[in-house]
Amino acid sequence: MNYERRDLKVADPEETTMPRSPGEAESPTPTPESPMISETPARVEDMHATRHVRLEDLHAYYDSNHAVRGVNLSFEPGNVTAIIGPSGCGKSTMVRCINRMHEEIPGARSEGRVLLDDVDLHASNVDVVAVRRLVGMVFQKPNPFPTMSISDNVASGLRFIGTPRGEIKDRVDSALEGAGLWSEVKDRLSSPGMGLSGGQQQRLCIARALAVEPDVLLMDEPCSALDPVATLKIEELIGVLKEKVTIAIVTHNMQQAGRVADTTAFMLDGELVEVGPTDKMFTNPDDDRTEQYVTGKFG
Amino acid sequence: MEIEARHEYREELASLERRALDGLDLVVASLDRTVEAVQHQDIELAELVIADDDVIDGRYLEIHQAILTLLATQAPVATDLRLIAALLHVMKNIERMGDQCVNIAKLIPIAGHDPPADEQLLGYLVAMGNAIRVQIRQAKRAFLDRNVEMARDLVREDDVIDNLNRECFQRAIEIGDEHDRREWAMTMMLVARALERIGDNAVDVGEQVAFLVTGLFREFEDASHPGEEPMPEPSSSSPS
Repeated sequence: MNYERRDLKVADPEETTMPRSPGEAESPTPTPESPMISETPARVEDMHATRHVRLEDLHAYYDSNHAVRGVNLSFEPGNVTAIIGPSGCGKSTMVRCINRMHEEIPGARSEGRVLLDDVDLHASNVDVVAVRRLVGMVFQKPNPFPTMSISDNVASGLRFIGTPRGEIKDRVDSALEGAGLWSEVKDRLSSPGMGLSGGQQQRLCIARALAVEPDVLLMDEPCSALDPVATLKIEELIGVLKEKVTIAIVTHNMQQAGRVADTTAFMLDGELVEVGPTDKMFTNPDDDRTEQYVTGKFG
Repeated sequence: MEIEARHEYREELASLERRALDGLDLVVASLDRTVEAVQHQDIELAELVIADDDVIDGRYLEIHQAILTLLATQAPVATDLRLIAALLHVMKNIERMGDQCVNIAKLIPIAGHDPPADEQLLGYLVAMGNAIRVQIRQAKRAFLDRNVEMARDLVREDDVIDNLNRECFQRAIEIGDEHDRREWAMTMMLVARALERIGDNAVDVGEQVAFLVTGLFREFEDASHPGEEPMPEPSSSSPS
């Protein structure tokens, strides 16, 4: 995969216009100027996962409901981090805070810091669109744009960020290749995206996320709507992509966490109970509540 | 929040543990017969030990299959997974202990119906058998109670058995020049050796108790580095 690298760069704070959710604290970012995404292409080379994501005392609310309660957690580059926990424990909410999807929900707000390397993505002067370009997301249900062809689906994000027309085809092909879909769709790139199987649609969504060269890929139960074979394909893909982007995956399937994740974090009632190497979490967890959950005594 | 989940699975796991550890009772029964056969040169009883080993082997296969099924269908993790791994080892130990009884039983006809037996040497062997019986029962209790202290105490018991084994050896040397007596004593040394191995297997069961509780596997006593500090006490509180 040949991807150009962009970097977080300092831009003019005047240019950043971004809705702030009510109740969110003023920017705690230490940088005097606001970080932005540079559109200047860096040297063309393979993507490599290099960026850390660090949550510092992250709280998230839905109105008065305190859904995430002071989570401190790091996502390491080259690593897949799985977040497990029973329904309603706040794992999806936590992940959605990373690319600021959480604040889109009416009444929702968050506190604390989400650092991409040393830049606080929640700082008031950060462009939320830029954040979502750097932090891609794949959802539970494959959601290709229904009226668009396969290649237009992947190109949509590229067009949005103003990629020169001449480059789009190359980057679409490269993203489809990267998502392990190229050989299956190369002869029907102009067919509708919705004509693909569920598993292919999900890989199409991964290709769409990859096309804009994210540094981080969030996956919120990416396989829960897929059959076992499609699931294994996505899991294999995750194994390849972790070298290229920092990956966080929310999953209800503990075997899946066991198969794909290097690190597993267990959440309960909005709190991070335990985080550690996946093998340890599934053979000899430190916390009793983790033990109870992974052995299926509740959840 | 606390809901009793996977009820059948929990039952299955508990029953699997009971069935596996009951294998230790089968070994005790076989051991008692074996020692009695040695003591009284009872070839018929020895043959029964050999025939009944099929029961222990059958238990081994049964537990082995049940463990495979549980692994395949229930994907056990954490303490459950450690329990299953420990039970696999324990079943292997049980099967080995049964085989050692068979090894002893096969030696009895070699010694003959009316061998020139030495009461002192036989006394040591019977004492070994008694100590091993205690040891096997203690291993089972330690496993059921998840009691690491009790499991580690098996080493102390094992030292008693090892000492008796040395006494046997000494006695066999002193037994005299007569050919038949020497031959009998050498056969009894093989018996002592097999008994001593059964004791070692009981200690191995204890090591699995420590693994089950702490998640760490260390030999209580490393035969290749005798005298070195054995496994330290688990420093952190054990998971439930």
